Amino acid sequence: MSLFLLTLGFGVVTAAVLSLASVGLSLQFGVTNYVNFAYGSYLAVGMFATYTASQSLHLPFVMAALLGVLSSGMVAVAVDLLVLERFVKRGTSGFFLLIVTFGLALILLNLEQAIWGVGFDRYPVALGNPVRLGPFSVTPAQLDVVGVAIVALSAVHLLLTRTRLGKAMRAMSDNPTLALASGIDTRATTMWTWFITGCLAGLGGVTLALNTVEFQVFTGNTFLFVIFAAVILGGIGKIYGAMLGALIIGLAINLSTLVISSAYAIDVAFAVLVLVLLVRPQGLFTVAGKA
Amino acid sequence: MGIIVGYIATLGIYFCIYNILSIGLNIQFGYAGILDFTVITFMAIGGYMAGVASLGPEQPGSQIFYILGLSLPWPVALLIGATAAGLLGCAIGLIALRRLRSDYLAIVTLAAGSIIYGLVGNNSKIFDGFEGLVGVPQPFNGVLGLNPNSYALLFLGFAAVVMAVLWVAANRLRNSPLGRAMRATREDLEVAEAYGKNTYKLRMMAMVIGSVYVGVGGVLTIWYVTAMAPAGWGTSETFVVWAALIVGGVGSNGGAVIGSFLVAVLFNEVTRFLPGISSDPSLIPEVRNICIGALVILTLRFRPQGVMPERKARFPELPEASVRQEPAIVAEEV
Repeated sequence: MSLFLLTLGFGVVTAAVLSLASVGLSLQFGVTNYVNFAYGSYLAVGMFATYTASQSLHLPFVMAALLGVLSSGMVAVAVDLLVLERFVKRGTSGFFLLIVTFGLALILLNLEQAIWGVGFDRYPVALGNPVRLGPFSVTPAQLDVVGVAIVALSAVHLLLTRTRLGKAMRAMSDNPTLALASGIDTRATTMWTWFITGCLAGLGGVTLALNTVEFQVFTGNTFLFVIFAAVILGGIGKIYGAMLGALIIGLAINLSTLVISSAYAIDVAFAVLVLVLLVRPQGLFTVAGKA
Repeated sequence: MGIIVGYIATLGIYFCIYNILSIGLNIQFGYAGILDFTVITFMAIGGYMAGVASLGPEQPGSQIFYILGLSLPWPVALLIGATAAGLLGCAIGLIALRRLRSDYLAIVTLAAGSIIYGLVGNNSKIFDGFEGLVGVPQPFNGVLGLNPNSYALLFLGFAAVVMAVLWVAANRLRNSPLGRAMRATREDLEVAEAYGKNTYKLRMMAMVIGSVYVGVGGVLTIWYVTAMAPAGWGTSETFVVWAALIVGGVGSNGGAVIGSFLVAVLFNEVTRFLPGISSDPSLIPEVRNICIGALVILTLRFRPQGVMPERKARFPELPEASVRQEPAIVAEEV
């Protein structure tokens, strides 16, 4: 029983990491209406820009992480401006947009591997000794991860419900043509969406790196499938669905280690994904329209 | 002299293999619109199964572990490899081809490929893990015992025959009623269904036939290279096949031929000789992959129809009298 609760604690940490990245992917899909296969590379940008800033520039870790998160947001905007926007403007069909993002994933992954190498790295920060919280045992770094996730997701919630930008994003997600006709600057909204979701990806990358301790460029790409599983489970394009999906997948991955080897984490996520697609392809949150 | 002949023959063999792979992908994506982002996995399974079927039983002291080891003759091994790839295509199709959005389909194929990669790599008992199979017997070479250069020429002829047969079959399929129905599902699933076509069955057939093609390409690969390891079939290799198809022209088999020559042979060989990166050999695969990704994106941006576009059916204006007749889904090709 205590082992179960202990694993549950790790599950919550994984869920926190996963929810940051999943909300980003789902929000971006909701506004732009296509899946971005290069998203895993944005995680790696946040991960490694933070690494460079703290390891080579000797910045305090919080500053370095902020720099990393902002740089992955900027990479997302740059990729949209340089490549994706041009295809969307021309009305390229969904098929080919997916191939374009698949190609972008290949380009970004290899650029990152050329810059940062393919080996494993770790942040030059002390993760602290595990502390006991009731039945759970987590490192202070993992506690920070959960705290950051709660703050960031609350901020996304407030952004979507209380600000003009958030309302514009929701309007575009519901009906882009109507949003444009209502006088919403869809181009600026799309760009802000890329920036915010890119930052969420970067934050996901940094917290993922803190949680797994050792990371390489490819870590982001592998984690992408776990993100997909969480997003589809919650219903693609649904922010709160993505949070719930992340919680379920995060717990499922960690609890599965009680039964099978932890090497199969991705396979567990894939099994859940297949199950969802076979039983309830529209996800847990059913809303008419996008599905 | 012999080395140059051997080199050119090897390039020719790669051309034939990539041609088969891209025609297989063309049947899946070009005919039926299935976004298969894990083409290379079918190639690997076909190659591995043919390999373990033609290898002898595993030797206890060799530290190379694999299943089966049947020492079967090559035609049977070819059949086993092609069947295994087809079965895998069917299994992935069962999940991905139910009436799902095309992006879910792409996610499922990509994720399945990544899972299979992990399973094959981490379990050294199936196909010897990341070490991979080595010393697969080559067809004909047991009886003929040729030197490598002459064997390359012989194998080039063999691969060309296989390619020609598959090419003709793919073209026959394309122009058959079945192929037309497949292309109708690509253009519009709902319309095809409204005309009474079983789109699930049609797309599943395209998926399986395409997988078998790619599997045959994999069998040829493992026979010529005599080895196969996970390093040779990562996601970036899938993208080479996609690049060949897109540069050549989606939907047209002639385009697949031109594309596999331009991308898989010319482009791959030229990037090998780029002077700037030859000083830092560890960067060559990265630069190559970046170039191939950029090539695809630029092609889709500036010439989305490819070098050799698909010739689509044209619909002549119906004369007044024939308006009442039932219109055909796709008119004859012009």
